[in-house]
Amino acid sequence: MRRTWKAGLSLFKIRAAEGLQYRLAALSGATISIFWALIEVVILSVFFRYGAKTADSVNSLTLAQGVSYVWLGQLMVMLQMPGVDTDLHQKITNGDIGIELCRPLDLYWHWFARSAAGKVNTFALRGGLVVVCGTLLTLLGFDRVGLGAPQSFLHFALFLVSVFSAFLFSGAWSMFLTSIRIPVTWGDGPINLITVTGSVLSGTYLPLQLWPDAMQSFLKLQPFASFLDTPARLFVGTVPIKTGLLSILLQLVWTCAFVLLGKLIMQHGLKSVIVQGG
Amino acid sequence: MEQILLHNISKSFQVHKRPEGRLGLLRGMFRRETECIRALENISFQINGGELVGYIGPNGAGKSTTVKVMSGILTPQAGECVIMGRTPWKERVGHVSQIGVVFGQRSQLWWDVPARDSFALLKDIYDIPAAAFQERLHELVSAMDIQPLLQTPVRQLSLGQRMRCEVAAALLHRPKILFLDEPTIGLDAVSKLALRDFLKHENRQSGVTMILTTHDMDDIEALCSRVMVIGRGNLLFDGGLDMLKQQFSPYRCIRAVTKIPADEMPIGGAVKTQVAGREWTVWFDPAATPAHSMVAQLAEQLPLADIMIERQNIDEIIAAMYREMKI
Repeated sequence: MRRTWKAGLSLFKIRAAEGLQYRLAALSGATISIFWALIEVVILSVFFRYGAKTADSVNSLTLAQGVSYVWLGQLMVMLQMPGVDTDLHQKITNGDIGIELCRPLDLYWHWFARSAAGKVNTFALRGGLVVVCGTLLTLLGFDRVGLGAPQSFLHFALFLVSVFSAFLFSGAWSMFLTSIRIPVTWGDGPINLITVTGSVLSGTYLPLQLWPDAMQSFLKLQPFASFLDTPARLFVGTVPIKTGLLSILLQLVWTCAFVLLGKLIMQHGLKSVIVQGG
Repeated sequence: MEQILLHNISKSFQVHKRPEGRLGLLRGMFRRETECIRALENISFQINGGELVGYIGPNGAGKSTTVKVMSGILTPQAGECVIMGRTPWKERVGHVSQIGVVFGQRSQLWWDVPARDSFALLKDIYDIPAAAFQERLHELVSAMDIQPLLQTPVRQLSLGQRMRCEVAAALLHRPKILFLDEPTIGLDAVSKLALRDFLKHENRQSGVTMILTTHDMDDIEALCSRVMVIGRGNLLFDGGLDMLKQQFSPYRCIRAVTKIPADEMPIGGAVKTQVAGREWTVWFDPAATPAHSMVAQLAEQLPLADIMIERQNIDEIIAAMYREMKI
C-alpha cells in the first residue's frame, strides 16, 4: 500500500511534467472552454429574459447564479473528460497493458492514480485559465457574463471540499469505465453513450435546477450530480450549508460505490484479459 | 535447484474469423465463426538460476505466449508454473517485483518525457532505496552509455537509443529473471552488438537468468548456451546450441572454385557434391573426415583457384529444422 502511494505521487509528478510540455494545447483548450461558456451564458440570458415567467429567478436560481454555474461547469467538465484515460485506453487496445501488469502494484490503484493525475493537469491548467477569464470579465465590469463571487466564505470553503470529492468521484468513475473497457476488444460506443449521459446528468449542459420539478429529487440523488451540480450549488449558494454537507457526503458514498464496482469488474476482467499483439 | 519450472502448460485462444467472399463482412456481423487456436500444448521445461536461454520458433509458435504466462500476464488453461516458489498469475505482485521484462515491440518508457523521469517513476514503483537506485542507475548508464540521452524526451530518441534505455529500465530494480522478447528487433549492427555485450556482461556479473526470444540467430549464437525451439505450441527441442547443430546440420560445407571447368567426379570423403560451372560445393562429415584432409583431397583431385570452408549458418540450420519438423 505504501508503495502504491509513493508510486501514485510519482505518477502525478511525471504527468505534470508531461502536461507542462504542451502549453499551447492548454491555451487552445481553454479558449474553446471560454467560448463554450460565453455561448451558454448568452443562451441562459435569452431564456431568462424571454422564456421565464418571472425574470429574476427560475426554480430559485437567478440569472447571475446561472451564469456562474455555467462558468464552473466549464471548469468541472475537465474532470469528466476523458471517460477512459487516453493513455490507458491505448494500452488496453494495443496490448501494452501487459507491461502495466508487470508492475508490482495493484492495477486498480495504479491506474486510478494514473488517470487522476492526467485529469489534474487539464483541470489545473485549462480549468484555471477558464476561471481566471471568468473572474476577469466580472472585474472588468462585464458582471452579467462573468463568474460571480461565491455566496459566502463558508460556502466557498465547502465548495473547495466538494471540488476535491468531485475529483475523487471522477477518478472512481473513470476507473469504472476503464474496467468495463478492459475485456472488450472493440467498441467505445457504449462507453461514449454512458459518458454523455453522465455529462448531461451532471448539469454541464443545463443547470440541474432548471430541470422539471418532478425530477429534482432524482437529480439530487443520482451520482453524476457529484461532478458539477454539488460543488456549483455550494458556490452560488442555492443550498443551505447543512444540505450542502449532506450532498458532499453523498459524493463520497457514490465514490466508494464506484470504487467497489470498478474493482470487482476489473478483477473479473483481468482473468480473461487477452494481451493483444505478439 | 531450478528457478523456473513449467509443467504441462496449455493455453488456447478464441479467434474470430470473418467469412470469405464479397458479403463476408456483412455476414460476419450476424454469424460469427470462431476458431480455437491452441497457442501452447503441454509445455514443460526447467531453467536454473543464471542460465541464458534462447527461445526460438517461427512466428505464431507460442514464444510470446510462454513469456506472458511466465511473467504473470496471462493465465493458462491448464498446467503448473512455479517461478522462484510462486505461481506467477496467482501471486502476480510478489512475482513481478522479482522479474524484469523487455518487449522489443512495446515501450515501458513514457513517450513525452525524458527517460530520467521514467526511471524516477520506476524507482518509486519498485520502491528502490535512493542510494541503491543511484548506484544502480550509474552502473547501467555507464555500461549502456546512455548518459547523454537521459534528458531527451523519449519520442526524440532513435530506436537503438530507446532500446538501451528500455533495457536499463528493466534492470533498475535488480530483477532475478529478465525476459527479453525480441530485444534486437529493428536495431542496427552496432546497437545489436552493444546490447549483446551488455546482456552477456549482466548475466555474468549479476547472475540474472535471461530468457530471450528472437528471430535473429546471431543473438542466439552470441548469447545462449541453451536453446529451446517451439513450434505450433509444442516444445520441439531443448538443449545446447552445439547439439542443435549436430542434430540438424551434421555436415560441413566447402566451396571451391576451379581454374578451368572440370567434369563432375566423386570426391573421396565427401557426402554430397554439387557442381555449377567452375563452382563446386562439397559437403563432408567432420566426424569422419577432418577438414584438413578434406581440403587436401580436393586439392589433389581438382585444379583449385580458390577455396572456402563455410561456417555453419545457423539461420539455414533453423530453416532446415523448421522444414524437417513441418512447423
